[in-house]
Amino acid sequence: MTFDNENILIKEAHPRLTSSGDRDRFKELLRKRLIECGWRDQVRAMCRKFVKENNGPNNVTFDMLVNQVTPRARALVPDSIKRELINKIRENLHRQRNQ
Amino acid sequence: MNDNGCIHLNNFKAAKGTKPYKVVNAFFVSCTSFDARRYKATTCVCFTCGKPGPRMHSCLHCIYFGCYAGHIQDHSKSKKHFLYIDLSYGNVFCAQCQDYIYDREITEIALTNRVKEAKSLGVSVPYIPWLPNHNEAMALKRLRKRRVISQHTTIGLRGLQNLGSTCFMNCIVQTLIHTPLLRDYFLGEKHKCKSQGSGKCLVCEVSKLFQEFYSGAKTPLTLHRLLHLIWTHARHLAGYEQQDAHEFFIATLDVIHRHCMNGVEDVEKKENGRCNCIIDQIFTGGLQSDVVCTSCSGVSTTIDPFWDISLDIAGTSLQTCLERFTRAEHLGSAAKIKCSNCRAYRESTKQLTLETLPIVASFHLKRFEHSSQIDRKISTFISFPAELDLTPFLSSHRRAVDVGAADNNNAPEGIFEDNRYSLFAVVNHLGSLDAGHYTAYVRQMKGSWFKCDDHMITRASLREVLDSEGYLLFYHKTVLEYEGDVS
Ligand SMILES: [Zn+2]
Ligand SMILES: [Zn+2]
Ligand SMILES: [Zn+2]
Ligand SMILES: [Zn+2]
Ligand SMILES: [Zn+2]
Ligand SMILES: [Zn+2]
Repeated sequence: MTFDNENILIKEAHPRLTSSGDRDRFKELLRKRLIECGWRDQVRAMCRKFVKENNGPNNVTFDMLVNQVTPRARALVPDSIKRELINKIRENLHRQRNQ
Repeated sequence: MNDNGCIHLNNFKAAKGTKPYKVVNAFFVSCTSFDARRYKATTCVCFTCGKPGPRMHSCLHCIYFGCYAGHIQDHSKSKKHFLYIDLSYGNVFCAQCQDYIYDREITEIALTNRVKEAKSLGVSVPYIPWLPNHNEAMALKRLRKRRVISQHTTIGLRGLQNLGSTCFMNCIVQTLIHTPLLRDYFLGEKHKCKSQGSGKCLVCEVSKLFQEFYSGAKTPLTLHRLLHLIWTHARHLAGYEQQDAHEFFIATLDVIHRHCMNGVEDVEKKENGRCNCIIDQIFTGGLQSDVVCTSCSGVSTTIDPFWDISLDIAGTSLQTCLERFTRAEHLGSAAKIKCSNCRAYRESTKQLTLETLPIVASFHLKRFEHSSQIDRKISTFISFPAELDLTPFLSSHRRAVDVGAADNNNAPEGIFEDNRYSLFAVVNHLGSLDAGHYTAYVRQMKGSWFKCDDHMITRASLREVLDSEGYLLFYHKTVLEYEGDVS
């Protein structure tokens, strides 16, 4: 993504998505899809394993967990879900622009 | 780790209470109103670098916004402010402990606001997984036996003895036993019986049946008692001769529903005065009928509850049958209806659509034709999908199509609507009208199908299920929405 595109995203699209509530609706939709496809369970298992390997929750900080799990969790998100979300967000932005 | 916070958060709460957290949460984490969302949209960027994240946090002391990677750490050093709220999830970060802090009070506030936010957005309330309370946790510690569900478990699978010609009943029992939400209800022992132990409660009997099915035993069961109870309540089904599985299905739902209604259980009525028993929660949908007068175009709309939908055999697939079912139909001159507008009998068109969808959508393909001249069975193959989207048959959707909205499928609310259903049981009638036999396919787990032929249970493939003739088709909502109680 070029800098200009990113700027437009921050200055225009982001506030618009937030104030209309669609950002939160997309978040909720994504959450649903990730639960449906088993992603959440996989990630939960990964976290549990990491905590166990480090001898329990008192030896693990949130940042350690995030650093360990994020790359693999990202990779586990099915392409079909990314595609669905991108298409729907794009559609939504187009419609708002044309209004 | 516990949920009693840390000393720094506790000191903060002692001095200022939970109000600061509550306000920041309601405005910037879970926006509970339109104003809050607008406010968040325009102000929610890092005060230092101007970006909207990632991982935006707000200082709990002075409401400074900053990104987690660096800018809140800078703020905590220069201002000696140590508590921050993660604006994506509402968790509290303590810069002195250098970690997120669990606090029961804070968690409860966050949850209440999330439910309010969902209401204000018109989306389903977030699912809150079961957490054992103190007593349940103790019980779990005491009872160490666990049953692990794996790909190969046969749990929940038991054959049913045929007591004469009772296969019509067996296949409905198998279907109900494998209805996910009904199973959860009974295995969760949610039936709170008032006539405990009297031996007369049919719902208790059903509850026991679920326990037996999921006990882990594999020998076939005999349904004498249940049969007897249902027969005493639905006399038209009495006798051991072959009955229609569809009729039995409806009669069973009706008997259980009436049991709940008549005070076996304390069932709260819904606002519209309708029954809210477990049967109605799972199986009841609303069928909308629009009758349009051809003279004045006046519409009269009625909505009736339904437990299943009976479809004429038309076309080659379930979808075409449903299209036919929801098509506007001209009623003709022989069937004039009194129009309240014209104050006269007029010709009209009538259209049925699904106003509200049940959690379990049951379809009955009308394969049996009974008339004064002839009784016959229609064995035409009707294909049906494993995954079914019911959106096109909804009243709201049909209206959008008729009005010719620009792109009906993409109506704003359409993007977030989810009306997908998954097949979980199929009842088949084999053979002829008078010498027939019923079997059922049930989905035990995702992707795991079994054929129930009275006492015999055999593994089946999805292909086999979809290739079967299909008499009763049962679909379960793929994703469940939750309704929260918020005052
Ligand atoms: Zn920043
Ligand atoms: Zn501050
Ligand atoms: Zn602390
Ligand atoms: Zn009972
Ligand atoms: Zn009821
Ligand atoms: Zn009229």
